[in-house]
Amino acid sequence: MADADSQRCVSALLNGITQRLYYGNTEITEEFLKNELYPEMTQDEFRALHDKMRSLLKSIASADMDQAQLEAFLTAQTRKQGGGGVTPEQAGALGRFWKAHRTRVRESLLAQSRWEPGLRGLKWRVDLHTSASRGQVSNSPVALVELELGRPGESSEFVSLEFDEQKVNLVLKKMAELQESIDSVVHRS
Amino acid sequence: MADSVSLFGGRAPAEVQQLQKHLRTLDRDTFTQMLSAVLKAVDGLDCRESLRLISESGLVSEESFNHVVAGLYTLLKEALCLPSLKQEVFNEDLRALRISEEFITDVSSAVFGNRQSSIHITDTHRGPTLAKIQDFKWRVDVAISTSSLSRALQPSILMQMKLSDGRLHRFEVPVVKFQELRYNVSLILKEMNDIEKRSILKIQD
Repeated sequence: MADADSQRCVSALLNGITQRLYYGNTEITEEFLKNELYPEMTQDEFRALHDKMRSLLKSIASADMDQAQLEAFLTAQTRKQGGGGVTPEQAGALGRFWKAHRTRVRESLLAQSRWEPGLRGLKWRVDLHTSASRGQVSNSPVALVELELGRPGESSEFVSLEFDEQKVNLVLKKMAELQESIDSVVHRS
Repeated sequence: MADSVSLFGGRAPAEVQQLQKHLRTLDRDTFTQMLSAVLKAVDGLDCRESLRLISESGLVSEESFNHVVAGLYTLLKEALCLPSLKQEVFNEDLRALRISEEFITDVSSAVFGNRQSSIHITDTHRGPTLAKIQDFKWRVDVAISTSSLSRALQPSILMQMKLSDGRLHRFEVPVVKFQELRYNVSLILKEMNDIEKRSILKIQD
């Protein structure tokens, strides 16, 4: 029972650290984690545990370890003598935790190196131009497109565009070229 | 069907219909001068000086001068704002207005020799529109390593769009979002094609 409990506490601690470190949740402070999970520990003991877990997580995340790498890494850590190593329970918790969070942590780390606003969404509609105040207009379809752009954590900016058929065709052709270019770098397995 | 759409549809505006009556009093030189002055006006440029010179030359009566300027302005504006207009159709329209052949040649070459600049003209005279894409550039990057991730190896797309209102938008598109974007753009094209097919059917009815 004690083992399961301590594993649960380690998992919760890892979760808390990740929330703060990678998911931008600043409400979860070190003090909050100590009071909730390890109230019986002294401040120094908790600080040591917290910092150790944080540095392990950082190493795992920055190398974006896969399953095999993680196992090798954790085995090495458990074999470490003295205060620097981790217990088998902690290693287990780390392993399970990383398996569940790897994709999301990686996404968040990638987003940290994006500076241009990103495309968040798009809406479109196709209209038929019929008449205008200056007189007759040709009966041609127009596409109205709204792009939603924004930097992470900032509110969106909306860009409205108008396309005639020719322009849509042109953009589509450029996108096909773009796709080819991606395919040439990405190897699909 | 669309090929033979005439400039004014059903009925030409009064000032254009009156054109032929007043053109008869003009010699070709004066007409050419007026044509280039009015063309400038349609383009949104200052033509006061050149028009003043023509009107003070005494070669044309005040009444004819006024009517020709008004008629030419409407005619040129409409013609330059209709990108699908064909030269033969336009010439036919002018003949129907009983304008003499030598003037038709001048007007026609002024309109169709100016197709390049007519993009600009269309912008000054069109009704409200949203911005259009003028230029679309892209770049695919693969991030090798970043300050927070030692081995990123993640392709990302940078798009840059220059719009007709002068704004420049640069944004990143994750690969997944790009697929979504491409899918939607092809859907738009399909939708536009469908609409056109439907309206062709309507004409045949």
